[in-house]
Amino acid sequence: MKIKVASVDSLIIYFGDKIDKDIAKKVKNAYLCIKKLNLDGIIEIVPSYTSILITYDIFTYDYETIKIKLEELINLDETQEDNSKLITIDVYYGTEVGLDLQSMSEKTGLSIEQIIKIHSEKTYDVYAIGFLPGFGYLASVDDRIALPRLSTPRKSIPKGSVAIANTQTAVYPQASPGGWNIVGRTAFDFFDKNLETLSPISVGDRVKFNPISKEQFLKQGGVL
Amino acid sequence: MSLEIINTPIFATIQDKGRFSYTHIGVTHAGVMDEYAYYIANMLLGNKKDENIIEIAFSNVEFKANTNTQIAVTGAFCEIFINNEAKNSWQTHNLKVGDIVKIGKFLEGSKVYLAVKDGFKIKKEFGSYSTTIKENLGGLNANRLQKGDVLKINSHNLFHTSRLKKSFHPKYEDTLLLRVVLSYQDEYFSDKEKQKFFSSEFTVSNEFNRMGCKLKGEAIKCDIDGIVSEGISFGAIQIPSDGQPIILLKDRQTIGGYPKIGSVLSIDCFKLAQAKPNTKIRFKQISIEKAQKKLKEFYNSFN
Repeated sequence: MKIKVASVDSLIIYFGDKIDKDIAKKVKNAYLCIKKLNLDGIIEIVPSYTSILITYDIFTYDYETIKIKLEELINLDETQEDNSKLITIDVYYGTEVGLDLQSMSEKTGLSIEQIIKIHSEKTYDVYAIGFLPGFGYLASVDDRIALPRLSTPRKSIPKGSVAIANTQTAVYPQASPGGWNIVGRTAFDFFDKNLETLSPISVGDRVKFNPISKEQFLKQGGVL
Repeated sequence: MSLEIINTPIFATIQDKGRFSYTHIGVTHAGVMDEYAYYIANMLLGNKKDENIIEIAFSNVEFKANTNTQIAVTGAFCEIFINNEAKNSWQTHNLKVGDIVKIGKFLEGSKVYLAVKDGFKIKKEFGSYSTTIKENLGGLNANRLQKGDVLKINSHNLFHTSRLKKSFHPKYEDTLLLRVVLSYQDEYFSDKEKQKFFSSEFTVSNEFNRMGCKLKGEAIKCDIDGIVSEGISFGAIQIPSDGQPIILLKDRQTIGGYPKIGSVLSIDCFKLAQAKPNTKIRFKQISIEKAQKKLKEFYNSFN
């Protein structure tokens, strides 16, 4: 664990420098630990793959004080009570919404059915959230369907699109430009103003995709 | 009791200090680009320090007062007309029912702030009034202000006028010196590149908006191409592979994977907010201790 200045009122804690399950576990553990400490003057805690960015009130702490405090209080050996959730997302994997299924099938030599099976049988970890509110970076996608981003990004990807970029998968919480390979669509809201937390997912949660029929998708309010 | 927008503003939004504690799910901080002008405007009106305000990013906004009230205009020096009579900025103005206010041409600076006594009566969303259009949050219908928008306000009569002393007026100069704390990936920039960064002159490009400000100048090289995405602070200076720095501002994305050499001191980001394309930028290194002292002085000066 290494703590560095990020800006005048923020610092960043590094736990490693590559995307890795063990590093992610340390991030999650430290994140839960910092949240539990509930220190006054901590404004933001932003976990990502290998790091946690902390914004603090400079009237409460100067950099050296908060750095020493965190070094003392974050105990990586103590496993935190894990209240992370397993979220099941119903996905309609039809070719009219899975815009890249056909080209992915051609590129990988797998049938569309095989691609769907491979994508939906794994449970993914939420490594980071960003890019758009509620956009969770989920990993790791099976190597057989881990295709790179499109060379020309789409101007608009429909809300709810389920997509793959290399070993990561994600759901677009709103319509947005983007270059990921689209395999399906969900009616599940990842950014919901009616939720107190705004988004149902947190870093450290797990996500599983569940294939559903077109009829079920439409019944759930899905839009083609 | 309201103010009504009667022309089509190019880009004016409701803002406040910003939306905090939702960054971990990807919600940006938002908030006013220039906190100095923001705090002064509310102070002149005797408003709450963190009251909402209109941030005007391009000239020509016209509105009508449907009640008696008082406004304050700060930020960029601009033409202000009340019923066609020219007025000054950095002070309050009393409005009567039916008065037409026009914010005209910007003369110096690039963001005008318009506050109203007691603020606009709109609802906060997730702790803030700040508008972020792409997140569909805050402001009036999460959008920029449109012709016909009616902003509810309280009615007020008979105010004395408050002015900010001339000596406290900002100067929006053609060359800015921005103070930087080295941070994040600074160790992946060689001494030679750091020296280049701190001795070169950069220019503000046309890619300058609420998200960030891209500069043009001598390319700065980093020993690494990219990093694993991590949280981005206000003022962080990204160096993409083309070597042209991007200073990340209020509507920045919450995480990103470009190497960062350091972060611009917040107070200096507020000055940058008033810059225009072609403004010259220089950087100067400052220690974290000194940076924190300066920022405390800034916030203390409004107490």
